[in-house]
Amino acid sequence: MNGRVIGALLKKDLSLFMSSRFYLFITILSLVFYVAIYLIMPANTEEKLSLGMHAPLVPPAFEMLAAEGTEVSYFDSDEALREAVLAGDFNVGLTLPTDIMDTWADGGKPEITVYYAATAPPEIAEAVITLVRELSYIQTGDILAFDTTEEVMGPDLLGEQIALRDRMRPMLVILILLTEIMTLASLIAVEIAQGTARALLVTPMRTGDLFTAKGILGVGLALAQAVLFMAIVGGLAHQPLIIITTLLLASFFVVGTGFLVASLARDVNSVTGWGMVILILFAIPGFGAVVPGLLADWARVIPSYYLIDTVNRVANYGAGWSEVGGNLAITAAVTAVILAAGLVALRRRFQ
Amino acid sequence: MKIGRVGTLVRNEVIHGPKDFMVALAVVFPILAALFINLAFGNIFTEKAKLGIYDQGGSAVVAVLEESEALSVSSFDSELALRSAATDGSVDMGIVLPEDFDTAVESGVIRLKAFVWGESLAKNRAVIPVALADAVRTVKGSELPVDIEQVALGDEAGLSWSNRLLPLIVLIGVFYGGLMLPSSGLINEKQNRTLEALYVTPTTLGEIFLSKGIIATTLATFMGVLTLVLSGTFGGQVLLVILVLFLGAIMGTEIGLLAGAWVNDMNSLFSVLKAGGILLFGPAIVYMFPQIPTWVGYLFPTYYVVRPVVDLSVAGASFGDVAPFIAVLAVLVLAGGWLVASVVRRMSTRALRLA
Repeated sequence: MNGRVIGALLKKDLSLFMSSRFYLFITILSLVFYVAIYLIMPANTEEKLSLGMHAPLVPPAFEMLAAEGTEVSYFDSDEALREAVLAGDFNVGLTLPTDIMDTWADGGKPEITVYYAATAPPEIAEAVITLVRELSYIQTGDILAFDTTEEVMGPDLLGEQIALRDRMRPMLVILILLTEIMTLASLIAVEIAQGTARALLVTPMRTGDLFTAKGILGVGLALAQAVLFMAIVGGLAHQPLIIITTLLLASFFVVGTGFLVASLARDVNSVTGWGMVILILFAIPGFGAVVPGLLADWARVIPSYYLIDTVNRVANYGAGWSEVGGNLAITAAVTAVILAAGLVALRRRFQ
Repeated sequence: MKIGRVGTLVRNEVIHGPKDFMVALAVVFPILAALFINLAFGNIFTEKAKLGIYDQGGSAVVAVLEESEALSVSSFDSELALRSAATDGSVDMGIVLPEDFDTAVESGVIRLKAFVWGESLAKNRAVIPVALADAVRTVKGSELPVDIEQVALGDEAGLSWSNRLLPLIVLIGVFYGGLMLPSSGLINEKQNRTLEALYVTPTTLGEIFLSKGIIATTLATFMGVLTLVLSGTFGGQVLLVILVLFLGAIMGTEIGLLAGAWVNDMNSLFSVLKAGGILLFGPAIVYMFPQIPTWVGYLFPTYYVVRPVVDLSVAGASFGDVAPFIAVLAVLVLAGGWLVASVVRRMSTRALRLA
């Protein structure tokens, strides 16, 4: 392997990349968009039901609402309450009658009105109605005796929920990386199609030099974008070395996959087509990070699962080397296999 | 422009197009995406509290809980499986109902074992025990000491999560083929220099663009309808939905033609798609997360495709309700057509100079 040749090839490719203002613009623009997606997502999680209430007299049991995962705001009039619910300020509104306690004392049934926006998910209103029923039972002395043994599984994040946009970081950064599969594969496919690769082969350059140069370029481009994104969105705030190591492994994974796609595709169109299929497949585990419990164990057969899981656990849960070491080992092994397979397949195509 | 020549070009595209991998992908990918999205997310993305139950004795309470609109209930056949589900977030809370649960309900103290997911929300941790108590009272036959009147405010019904994902499905169906087919086709023609060969024939560049546009629009419209059918939401005013999909297909095709005209290789095309994909699929994200203000959607051109489709298909809107969005969409399509025509004229002029 000739370092000088590799350097020359890298210089050529980088010059081409830098001289193309279009590529530079698009690369920067795509990063801006991904960051914008992150920033536009809610920075906090609505942990509690937001409930508006108009109640001239609040029964003691209903004062427990605040302790029942509900945020209660009181209104002076029924009309004001309705307007607030309609405006979307509250999920649900309650109006209690002025004589509610007297009615119960007389053995009657007071009428409670539950307002909800027609656009709200029906389960929210149902949840509040269920709460109202239970509190009414309690207020009238009908109390059930539950003896519950409760165990919290995993870290208890009550009051410290992970925001949706932070859950999306692993998926977004993996998408940034995965899209480079097509970039690299297309670059190689174009060289093959235009015959420049074969022209280079009659020079002192060896195929290993060419692959090394392409690999370094691919890793560099992918890693730079991914690290920059994570830095901007706060993904490097905890254990940055683990994150960067993971992204580096992911970059090699991307390069290996790009080599495979380039070697198997007949033309550039096929690169794009198969690249999209692979991108979608590898992006699936990202949804599991956004919605915990969404994916079953079968997602583990997708190689990118271990990358995304590592980024998610480190960035969102503060995991250390010991917790994600297994993931990194699997990722390294899979990456080595894919990279080797890609190199072999690509070399055969060049011969 | 000769209609006959356009027809010949279209016929050639129809005959040879299926051999192109991109055509096959434009058909297969939206179908797979629609099926996957519906299967994977249709019943999972929900505001409902997720309750897991391991029922050791066949309690009557389970059936009552399963009917609750506030809960999403899953049954497990072992405590170990229930614990696992509560650990990975498949359920917010898992409860073990002992064999004598129903007996205990009638006699006195009700003993339970509960596993709480550490990341469950406060509201879900509150709703589940209350819903369980409510179910117990239902089984006991307790008389409710209150009358509850439910009043829905406003006219629009809330969207379920499967319907929130509908814009994503529509966008994939309409824009994937509409955009990729003409752009990749034109780039392929450039790289194979067949466009230059056509310059010496009576065929004009406009005819070539038009033929590719017709193919792409037709396929994109068909795929849009098909993905709606697969999603079970192709209903309401069918003709109006098809009209919107057709206009959206034209929009996607125009973008594809412009991309094919401006970029010279697939790598560049891919870069454009990577950056511009957010602009295309932005409305899907707006619909998926209601926390995002609605006005954000207005910034994306494709919003004016998905908004009327969703309103017509899901909300049962009338033409008057969606007319403003269709009008904007029509204007965008006209503007796109003008832009494509301008590009074609410029390319034709350049070709004449080269000749």
